[in-house]
Amino acid sequence: MAGDTSALTPGPLPKGEGGQRVAVVIGSGSVKCAAALGLLKVLDREGIAIDLVVGCSGGSIYAALIALGHSAAAAEEMTRRLWTREVTRRKHYPSLVRAVLPQIFGFTEQFGLVDDGLILERLRVALGDSHFENARIPLYLTATDFHTGEQHVFSQGSVLDAVRASIAIPYIFRPWKIDGHLYVDGFLSDPMPVGVAIKHGANVIVTMGFESPYQPRATSVLRFAFQLSSIMSNNLLRANYAFHNLAHHTEILPIIPQFRERIHLFDTDKIPYVIEEGERAAEQQLPYLRRLLAAVES
Amino acid sequence: MVIVVEKRESVTVVSIDGSMDGTTARELVTSLREQVSGGSPRLVGNLAGVDYTSSAGLRALLETVKESRQHGGDLRLAAVRPEVLRVLELSGFTSILQVFDDVEAAVASFAA
Repeated sequence: MAGDTSALTPGPLPKGEGGQRVAVVIGSGSVKCAAALGLLKVLDREGIAIDLVVGCSGGSIYAALIALGHSAAAAEEMTRRLWTREVTRRKHYPSLVRAVLPQIFGFTEQFGLVDDGLILERLRVALGDSHFENARIPLYLTATDFHTGEQHVFSQGSVLDAVRASIAIPYIFRPWKIDGHLYVDGFLSDPMPVGVAIKHGANVIVTMGFESPYQPRATSVLRFAFQLSSIMSNNLLRANYAFHNLAHHTEILPIIPQFRERIHLFDTDKIPYVIEEGERAAEQQLPYLRRLLAAVES
Repeated sequence: MVIVVEKRESVTVVSIDGSMDGTTARELVTSLREQVSGGSPRLVGNLAGVDYTSSAGLRALLETVKESRQHGGDLRLAAVRPEVLRVLELSGFTSILQVFDDVEAAVASFAA
């Protein structure tokens, strides 16, 4: 896979004068990102075509499945099998040993507490050998360069590699190396990357993203680290979202599902409920989306 | 979108009904600007009737708050629905705009 694929691939040309380019942007949010499938159902039902899809972190899985042409039902089934608690059950002992005894074993940057073998295996089943070039809808997935902190946008090469890089949750999954660069989770540079859609010519952006939940009490070192990560990423989300809303004339439609119950990282059994709420939230914005698209077309 | 303007001594209450979005933002900005340029820069935006705001709605609010402050006034929001408040929070607007539970409290804040 090429290094800076975003710079090399400008994306499809904008539609003609007066034509709209609709982007769907799915930000971070683990299982909550399944709400994007509810949004997909609504757009499908209404015959609203998606011109490009952008995904980050948990959202990269759904963005990839949508862009590769899977139906909402198929994508739901795939992710129910993919994202279960078992994927974090097996520890990555070499990382643990290197972290505890760095003088003896040597600490490496590819540190992650969880063995990623199972998640990789399941991603391989879900995504196969898909490449960005074969996606039905232009697809852009983001990760963060571990050494520079910059957002990296993947739009060429293996979708599996890009998704794995995008979901390299700090402390949990090891950073992922592609062409000599080490990547960590996309949320660390922008939890809701609407800027990527703007850069690639979208003028109507339907976006779904979620703030990381705060924990009432940090009862372990890992939870303490997660809390700090949530504080930073939520503030980053707000800052970036504000900037993109105000700095551009692109119309950004936030779809924010309201969950009556707390959704945890591996609440895979709640995926149908999450999708339902995503559908409900999307339906609420549908009248405006219709008016907007009609106005742009007229 | 329906916009109703009401004077309450030195404060102008602008009650908005409908969606603040790309199809209505221009009308909203024009209406709010008229108040500012007409010598009423102290504005209360009553958002009780607003069910949605997109980026265009946010830009309209920002444009107005900047202009009203340049003229010695302010734009303060009242009675914001939870779904709209969520977008205002997400976009950082609650850190630059004062938001009140109801119109009365927003109007009274100008006297403080």
